[in-house]
Amino acid sequence: MSNTPGKTVHIIVNGTSVEVPEGVSVAAAVLGHSHERHFYEHSLDGSKRAPWCLMGVCFECMLEIDGRPNVQSCMVQVAEGMVVNTQKRPAVPGENGLSDQGDRA
Amino acid sequence: MNITNFDCIVIGAGPAGLAAACAARDCGLEVALLDEQAAPGGQLFRNVESPLAQRLLDEKDRRTGLDLVARFRAGGTDYRPHSTVWAIDGTAVSYSRNGVSERITASHIILAPGGMERPVPFPGWTLPGVMGAGGMDILLRSDCLPRLSRQEPVVLCGNGPLLLLLACHLLDAGAPVAAWLDTGDTLRRLAALPHMPAALGDRAYLAKGLRMARRVLSSGMPIIRNVRSLRAEGDGHVEQVRYTTSKGEYRLPAGMLLRHEGIIPRTHIPNALGLAMTWDEVQRCWHPTTDIRGRTSCEHISIAGDSAYVHGGDASLLKGTLAGIDAARRLHVISEAEADHRSAGTLRELRRLEWARGFLRHIFAPHPDIFAVPDETIICRCENVSAGDIRAAVREGFTNVNEIKRFTRCGMGPCQGRMCGPALAELAAQASGLPPRQVDMLHVRMPFRPVPLNEYCTLNGLGYEENHTA
Ligand SMILES: Cc1cc2nc3c(=O)[nH]c(=O)nc-3n(C[C@H](O)[C@H](O)[C@H](O)COP(=O)(O)OP(=O)(O)OC[C@H]3O[C@@H](n4cnc5c(N)ncnc54)[C@H](O)[C@@H]3O)c2cc1C
Ligand code: FES
Repeated sequence: MSNTPGKTVHIIVNGTSVEVPEGVSVAAAVLGHSHERHFYEHSLDGSKRAPWCLMGVCFECMLEIDGRPNVQSCMVQVAEGMVVNTQKRPAVPGENGLSDQGDRA
Repeated sequence: MNITNFDCIVIGAGPAGLAAACAARDCGLEVALLDEQAAPGGQLFRNVESPLAQRLLDEKDRRTGLDLVARFRAGGTDYRPHSTVWAIDGTAVSYSRNGVSERITASHIILAPGGMERPVPFPGWTLPGVMGAGGMDILLRSDCLPRLSRQEPVVLCGNGPLLLLLACHLLDAGAPVAAWLDTGDTLRRLAALPHMPAALGDRAYLAKGLRMARRVLSSGMPIIRNVRSLRAEGDGHVEQVRYTTSKGEYRLPAGMLLRHEGIIPRTHIPNALGLAMTWDEVQRCWHPTTDIRGRTSCEHISIAGDSAYVHGGDASLLKGTLAGIDAARRLHVISEAEADHRSAGTLRELRRLEWARGFLRHIFAPHPDIFAVPDETIICRCENVSAGDIRAAVREGFTNVNEIKRFTRCGMGPCQGRMCGPALAELAAQASGLPPRQVDMLHVRMPFRPVPLNEYCTLNGLGYEENHTA
């Protein structure tokens, strides 16, 4: 199925090509193989943030993937030639078309 | 042609959802299964069809998982991976798949979104390098262990069976572990003693636990008891861990800090649907009110697996089977008598497991003190709301977490309160002197996952197809 040991793909993280196992999430690949120290900077205070859960709960794994910013990278599988960038202090939530959570006062 | 109307929609492809789909198909229902992962398996059997993921499963789990997934694939369920469900409206389920939103309907809906680690904030928990133990387990299963060394080792902290499992997996992977900081509650553990004889009803499970415990003890990993006041410190990444015990304050250098305080049900969907919920006083969490077949307060919706109550993977599988059969009974595709006949063995096995595991609820009960964090602790990671902000709101007279949310923005970010909800309630309860159940739980509105606006507009049936990318 999706990942056989030994089978790998290449992704480009912050301009450097990295070999990663096939079938894993982008977040796992970046933590385990390109060893980035953080994923993005928080929009409110610029603090550096990185994944907490790797299963879609925390939204702390935001990366720019193939040109799209603020992608929840633990829910996206790696693909050959994928271009991934860590993010500088991102724009306010809502900018990527994220809908409001309903009761923003 | 894409079918859009089913007898039964199952949400979640873990042991519970897969078993539910198999059982419902066996009874003759048309079933669709939606799951946001790329492959079936959920947490326990994540990616089980790949040899990479199989390495970390023991022989029994591997066989059970492979067999379940094979039965599911052969059974004729309309399986839709990469599909994140974001709304349920009556019998209609809306989900987002590869950037496009779709809506399908069914006479019956089975929710099986599983559990998640209880998020417990502490100073420094937003630093990169601090993670949930479950997150690290997923990294190990993906062959993506971060860079560690003797100078920058792993520190484990918390209380719960998953921490034991993770410690063994880290030892197997040869990762340097500096210490295990135990935050458990000795009194609660004593309270578990009277339940222990029942545990003998489940010898295999007990033996597995003891085997893992022996492995950790014999590794020489320092185990430090009664740990309080945990802190992660560092410049842009965790560099050291600070904590206190009854003997004083200590520091440890660390490259990663992994926290675990048990697994709780994922309740966003039942909460958004307004289903009846129950507060568990020992495990300190909300769970949907269900009977053993997963029936909820809403007739056409049932809940199976760890999202109903956390009993573990094998129990989840049994709960899924019961929910699938019960859906067919409810839709009159099988008779009451046939439903009883089909469920009898599973029901007996599930009752035995639940009884035998009663002690786990006590042994791994979270210590209430873990939420007594200093004012500067960030509680809401998305909106940077601190414990002090929440306490100030309580002093202003707000005691319902939904009022505190509006006052402080705690819970208003993209994670929709998933990471801060439990801590917010505990802090509000502490500060107001009310029991946690009385400060309410954060109300979840739909969509219960963020959806890009352009997807809303192109949802099937709404007819707005213009390419707006916002
Ligand atoms: C991080 C973690 C690690 C664990 N590791 C182990 C372990 O190693 N060994 C062990 O015995 N037990 C482990 N457990 C416990 C074990 O996961 C459960 O007992 C078992 O997997 C529960 O089965 P389930 O079917 O209820 O849910 P899960 O297996 O969690 O499956 C739920 C599925 O639903 C999907 N889902 C959730 N929300 C949505 C949505 N809105 N839309 C679409 N899909 C959705 C999820 O992606 C997931 O695939 C772990 C639990 C967690 C949280
Ligand atoms: S790491 Fe938590 S959502 Fe991706």
